[in-house]
Amino acid sequence: MKYMLVLLAIPALLLPAACLIYIVYQALPALDVDLIFGSDAVVIGVNSVGQALWSQISGSLLMMSLACLLAMPMAASIALFHAFWASHKQKKLLTSILQVLQGIPPIVYGLCGLVVLVHLLHWGISLAAGAVILSIIILPLLASNTIHALERIPLEQTESALSLGLSKVSVITRVWMPQAWPSFLTGLLLSMARALSETAPILFTATVFSGITWPDSIFSPVTSLQTHIFYLAQEGSNEQAIHTAWASAVVLLTLVLIFSLTALYLRRYERIS
Amino acid sequence: MNKQRLLLPIVLLGCIAALLGGLSLFWFLTSNAWNFFQSFGISALWQTEWYPYEDLYGFLPAILGTLWALCIAMLVAIPCGLAAAIVSSELLPNTWQSIARLSMEILAGIPSVVYGLIGLWVLLPFLQEHLNLLTGHSLLAAGLILSLMILPTIMLMAQDALDSVSQEQREAALNLGLDWNQLLIRILLPQAWPGIRSGLLLALGRGLGETMAVMLVVGSLDRIPQPFYNILEPAQTLTSRIGREMGEAAFGSMHFAALITCGLVLAVFATIISLSAQRKGSIA
Repeated sequence: MKYMLVLLAIPALLLPAACLIYIVYQALPALDVDLIFGSDAVVIGVNSVGQALWSQISGSLLMMSLACLLAMPMAASIALFHAFWASHKQKKLLTSILQVLQGIPPIVYGLCGLVVLVHLLHWGISLAAGAVILSIIILPLLASNTIHALERIPLEQTESALSLGLSKVSVITRVWMPQAWPSFLTGLLLSMARALSETAPILFTATVFSGITWPDSIFSPVTSLQTHIFYLAQEGSNEQAIHTAWASAVVLLTLVLIFSLTALYLRRYERIS
Repeated sequence: MNKQRLLLPIVLLGCIAALLGGLSLFWFLTSNAWNFFQSFGISALWQTEWYPYEDLYGFLPAILGTLWALCIAMLVAIPCGLAAAIVSSELLPNTWQSIARLSMEILAGIPSVVYGLIGLWVLLPFLQEHLNLLTGHSLLAAGLILSLMILPTIMLMAQDALDSVSQEQREAALNLGLDWNQLLIRILLPQAWPGIRSGLLLALGRGLGETMAVMLVVGSLDRIPQPFYNILEPAQTLTSRIGREMGEAAFGSMHFAALITCGLVLAVFATIISLSAQRKGSIA
């Protein structure tokens, strides 16, 4: 039994390292500083001229930060409502709704965004549409993380602060924030990683393949790293394009891992202290 | 005092904005799907032909494809994931355990489009060569790449559940003379089952909604495999259909309404999965 389990587990335990090594190995031919910061147009693909990856990186990061800026106040107010005003029944309902929303596939949100934002509101394929869609996608995650962070604060502390006559605002700023900021930050970082890795919902609502270094307004399309990989991956017979795709994957992976590993580190740090 | 009074309105405003977002989403899904069902009837759900240019919209191929891909993914990922969780939480020393955890968390963080890249340029050539397929695009490929994606979810949740079984229980069981197999089957797995179960359902939900990776490897052929258990043929899943045709369907056309109905079907499946995860979880 033991040996059978070990035998089954070995592939699962070795896979992550194998994946990472393979991705980096494939990316090596294309991975250099010029690819990211080079200013000249690099010819990739038979019929496509792409710029260096810098514009894609900045597009992805821009969309991610706008999405987080939109989602943060909403998530914070949901969590505060949950903490201060909701009755027991409402709390249960709220968490169950958040879980259901979290389970709905991102592409469904993308589809709705395409209908409502791009077509009905005439925003066109735009940065704003992508940011709003991404913010709705990360909202349940961010809100439930914030709720959990608030729930981990000992109830006695909140109650004694309130009975000392502190107002709700000062409970938030004086009692909760100094104590729970690592868990808030963890939630935020995880949602950032999530927003960076979503591809399908922004494919037809926010991004174009190339030609844009920095969007002129929030109603103009952007280029993003995720969709760049998708377009390049389908560039069938072109060796250079595929290597660039792998290199973009490495860049994207690095960005995502920076966020999620910092979140993990913070979580561990919080557990120890 | 002023700040005091502002807090409630601000909080309510944020909640109402979130609520409006959710409700309008639901409303757009159902109203468009309602239009679709009014013209084509509910029977479209189990008809087998999907040719948008001839106004034939049958959902069965995509639904069947989704189910097959999920079945394959779960069949591969459950044994591997559970075994990895058991091995790393019960057999490995602490250092290796945290390394295994970290690597699984990294695997969980890889964006889906990168998995698609792996599937397209590693898995497909492999399948093509070893199974004598035309291109390798197949339900099997989709299932395998999905299993890779849901493996970390299953393993991490199972490991958390196993770790939360208290050490005394293990020692008591060993003192009673149970061997390792009995300890595992009689003590550890039953106690960890609620956690493992919600991990499995979470993984199922993730696999259901995955778009990019599946879309790149499944082949996007709107046909029921012949015979229906032939998983080596290219097929279509609900998500890959939406992803492929979202860009080309004209806004306002029946085709677009049909795609939104696909989205509604997906959302209903996902809701059922997450509700069942909550219901049973609270009893156990």
